[in-house]
Amino acid sequence: MSSTNLNRDSIQDAFLATKTRLMENRRVRFLLSPGLGLVWTLVFLLIPLTIIVAFSFFRSGDGTTIIYELTFENYLRFIDGTVYQRIIVRSFGIGVLTTLIVLPLGYTLGYFIGRSKSKWTPILLGLVVVQFWVPLVIRTYAWITILGREGVVNNFLMWTGLVAEPLQLLYTTHGMLLGLIVSILPFMVLPVYASVSTIDEEIIQAAKTMGASDIRAFVEVTLPLTWPGVVSGILFTFILSAGAFIAPELLGGSSDRLIAPVIATVFMQDFNWPFAAALSLIYVLLIGLVLYLFTRKADLEEALEGASL
Amino acid sequence: MKSEWNWRAIKGMSLLIYLSMLIPLAVIVINSFNPQRIAGFPPESLSLHWYGEFFNNELFIDAVVVSIKVGIASALLCGAIGTVTAMGFVRKQFPIKNALVIVLLTPMLVPPVIIGVAATVFFVEIGWNRSIWWIVVMHTLIALPYAFLIVRSRLFLFNTTLEDAAMTLGADRLTTFREVTFPIISPAILTAMVLAFVISFGEFTATQFWVHRETTTVPIVIYSMARTLITPEVNVLATLVLVVTIVVPLVALVIQQRLSVNRT
Repeated sequence: MSSTNLNRDSIQDAFLATKTRLMENRRVRFLLSPGLGLVWTLVFLLIPLTIIVAFSFFRSGDGTTIIYELTFENYLRFIDGTVYQRIIVRSFGIGVLTTLIVLPLGYTLGYFIGRSKSKWTPILLGLVVVQFWVPLVIRTYAWITILGREGVVNNFLMWTGLVAEPLQLLYTTHGMLLGLIVSILPFMVLPVYASVSTIDEEIIQAAKTMGASDIRAFVEVTLPLTWPGVVSGILFTFILSAGAFIAPELLGGSSDRLIAPVIATVFMQDFNWPFAAALSLIYVLLIGLVLYLFTRKADLEEALEGASL
Repeated sequence: MKSEWNWRAIKGMSLLIYLSMLIPLAVIVINSFNPQRIAGFPPESLSLHWYGEFFNNELFIDAVVVSIKVGIASALLCGAIGTVTAMGFVRKQFPIKNALVIVLLTPMLVPPVIIGVAATVFFVEIGWNRSIWWIVVMHTLIALPYAFLIVRSRLFLFNTTLEDAAMTLGADRLTTFREVTFPIISPAILTAMVLAFVISFGEFTATQFWVHRETTTVPIVIYSMARTLITPEVNVLATLVLVVTIVVPLVALVIQQRLSVNRT
């Protein structure tokens, strides 16, 4: 009698112990689960992208309906007409141009903050970081008040008498580029700053003591050491400018319809989801191609990490 | 001598870049106090007229409320998911880890327009009605890579002997996490959450596909007003957002510093 009791107690104890251990384990496993983020990315990005692939082979019917049959219509429309091809080429061209301008400017500022050793350095850095925090829409909208007919620049020029009529600065390619460049600059400045600030000053001094000129010391010592920052900056600058939406729409002219706004128009105003899907896919594949070429020269993960500094 | 001049050129260039980043924002703030309907610059007089109009306009207030709600929800989700995922990636060994990291980072690589289009098609196809939750889950997705990277870089620096010590002293794993790991990485989690809030609060390009009349967010309002030119209240809204997006991270920075001081 007592022995069975004891038995039952010990079994129950053992059972409870196992249960707690299991529960603890499960909770721990949850805390250590790499899967959660992956599932989120899978469900809300990769599956939707796959559905986009399917949609690009459908056809848009009357109004907002979609005809679910296999067709190459959307791709043929892209191949036959030069309109959309030209838009994509122009977007990538703007991406390259912006990168070529942002690289020297961003490098200069990143280098300046990295090498300036004063009590102002944190504030100089902070002023750049703050740019990340202020919504892009606001930073772009701000240029309207600067470049518009009644804007700061025109009012100033009229006041000095340099021009008799307000200049057309807003709704031009130059206006768009200006807004794009300034808004993207922080993505170049911060990674360059991060790599410049880790360089030991003595290495550069050593090069100079050995007789290297300023330029030579920069090209052979500083530049290679800051290369990871540069690579990170180039990656973000290109992706963000080739896919820009706000700057071309708010500041650009009628010829500045880039791929991102065009896809949005096809999707939301024409309600042609299948064609928007095809355009998206072509665009994503081209970005993917650029990324592939990129990974042959640099480490993608490292470059992406540069932006979270 | 030569060095001196190079440095001066760099300084001059940097000053120009700072001016180009800061003057436009300063002009918005100044214009928000300009009582004229068509704001000339510099303003002839200053007043709080448009601030009054702003606070009487439900459209603006509603957008601000939606943006704050979405921002907080996304920040909480990103903090939780980002931490759990980063813990998993740092502490566990599993195959094709490097490729899976890139998968986690894809939201940074896919252009926001595509994210907007793809998610809309997906949600409509599975029959999920458009609501504020669309925006919350998608903003979480967009900010997740940043949250993950921030927490992970903190965990890389983490000295695991501290955890071993706690467990040797009899703490179970959950207690160890709660009492040892979490306090140490909490500043990083806070940073991640603040960044997620800021990203969510400012996201426009993808979000424009997901909003409807009752879930319009602040960037959408500013964009549509900037396109349709324009009621001057947009300067007030932009100024307030400017203040919030600068003050919130700064406050977080101060809290974070406190947390770090208390720990040592």
